[in-house]
Amino acid sequence: MKTVWITNSATITPFGDDLKELWLALVAGMTAINHVERFAVQNYHAGIAACINDLVASNERSMLYALVERLTAQLGAVPPDTLLITATTKSGIDNLEKVRRGYPAAARDVMVAALFEDIQRKLKLTGECINISAACASSTVAVAQGAALIASGCEDSVLVVCLDLVTEFVFSGFSALQALSQTPCRPFDRDRSGLSLGEGAAAILLMSSERAHREGRSPLGTVLGWGTANDATHITAPARDGSGLTQAICLALQMTAPKHLKIAAISAHGTGTVYNDLMELKAFHQIFGRHKIPIYSIKGAIGHTLGAAGGIEVAVGLHALQAQTVPPTVGFSNPESGAEDNVRSEPVAFCGDYLLTTNSGFGGINAALILGNGNLQ
Amino acid sequence: MKAFITGLGWVTPANMGRGRDHDRFEMIPGELPDITRKTVFDKPYPHFGRLDRYSRIGLSAVAFALKDAQLNTWTHKRPIGIIASTVHGCLETDLDYYDTVLPEDGRLASPNLFAYTLPNSYIGEAAIRFGLTGASYIIGVSTLADIWCLRLALVGISGGQFNKALVGMCDLGQRPPYSDSGSAVSGAVFFVIEKKVDRKCLIYGELGLSPNGELMFDGAEVKDLPSLAQRCIISFSKKK
Repeated sequence: MKTVWITNSATITPFGDDLKELWLALVAGMTAINHVERFAVQNYHAGIAACINDLVASNERSMLYALVERLTAQLGAVPPDTLLITATTKSGIDNLEKVRRGYPAAARDVMVAALFEDIQRKLKLTGECINISAACASSTVAVAQGAALIASGCEDSVLVVCLDLVTEFVFSGFSALQALSQTPCRPFDRDRSGLSLGEGAAAILLMSSERAHREGRSPLGTVLGWGTANDATHITAPARDGSGLTQAICLALQMTAPKHLKIAAISAHGTGTVYNDLMELKAFHQIFGRHKIPIYSIKGAIGHTLGAAGGIEVAVGLHALQAQTVPPTVGFSNPESGAEDNVRSEPVAFCGDYLLTTNSGFGGINAALILGNGNLQ
Repeated sequence: MKAFITGLGWVTPANMGRGRDHDRFEMIPGELPDITRKTVFDKPYPHFGRLDRYSRIGLSAVAFALKDAQLNTWTHKRPIGIIASTVHGCLETDLDYYDTVLPEDGRLASPNLFAYTLPNSYIGEAAIRFGLTGASYIIGVSTLADIWCLRLALVGISGGQFNKALVGMCDLGQRPPYSDSGSAVSGAVFFVIEKKVDRKCLIYGELGLSPNGELMFDGAEVKDLPSLAQRCIISFSKKK
């Protein structure tokens, strides 16, 4: 099996077009969740989300393309023969809204093919492209599949680009499901009452270590293990026993078993919904017992960015490994049972080189990645 | 990197059912048949009638494929994966859902429809119905001739992520303005592939990746999913 490196990453979040800005905001315990100005919210259960305020659509295109523009500008050179995997839940769904409301808009932007063809053109890629759709675990599954393709020798360079928007389409849906919190979300807090939506994007360039060496690229980190599993329980709610997430994490850990790695920190999905957070704590405790491994969620800071969440969390997780610090879980103050020893509202220093990152989503999907510190190479 | 095809099921404008019951597979333009619960499932499934059309078509093809592979009955959940392609995904459901948002500025937004505005919702439904706990995700592609789902399933099997998987496609087509073409083919076809066959059942043939990365079925290159389905049927008729 080939070694999979992450050689480049880029993020766009409400805290700016730079991972360092995002990291500083996270460590400072800031939140970007604020009143939504983009569409009328008076008929919804909540009126807040983490929007990128200066994101503007142009030439009848979806706002998603403004995100792509900013992300690709930040990314740097990508080998032309790279396989492109996009990850999004709703692509340019803002343009479906416009078309249905009778406004001029490029209707084809609602198709994922329009998105990956645009990125392919911008980055002058000549390889193939696909999109992975696995609800809120889309980008985690995309990184897992990219890593699997490289590890198996089928590909040696894969770019994962993940992105999603705050739109009325999605906002109204989560409101109808009564899943939105009226105040900024509070992951793993006993008083949590739902999620806060967010928007953003990330790009993660995966490469075999051989190819990276040839190209003179150094690793930001390694992808050491991955696992994906379905709860097979409910379409919109997680399995209360955490069985699907446990299975996904076990698959990822099995891949690293010969190396006897010690997980030093966990980047949780941590949406702030009652059942998701309970399910995650159950799964983590089933696997790691009552070890005081730091667990954190960044959704209290940047909201739930849906298909982009996993990719942004990979970029942040690699930074956490480098800094040997997990960011605070913004909004957390009154620990849920089982979170007392692991989740903190302030940054926590740790010592170790391996981080577990997980995401779960509608359709019962769960995905887990084990990342290694780039300094190890 | 190889696996055996042990099941085949589909819903197309031409017909629907299991591979072993037909002597021909056709993916032709036209209207998809209406599907009732009784057409596909022996036992009551009250939720089936409330599913959106994309989910009903995809779930039915999955059900036929599992029945063909004699994997449709279960007592314990099984780590079987589902990997499926689509071009237009659940766009029809998206349009239906947004039509519930528009009239009263969101007051009447349907939570039931919203739950199915993800292309992967129907494979979640299939996972629940058939107890499938393996990896499950949708691959968005630009053309239904794409065979990335098969490639990723083989990589998943060889990497130890799962030993069995449902692999296929589901699409309802679309007309302009959302699609460039007004004549997109609609339907669903699923294959059951297995690393090792651990029971007495029909084997259509062997799927594998050649050293230069080409997808092969019984030694000849796979061009697309419809032609693979037809080759499976020919292979089965020779074995009968």
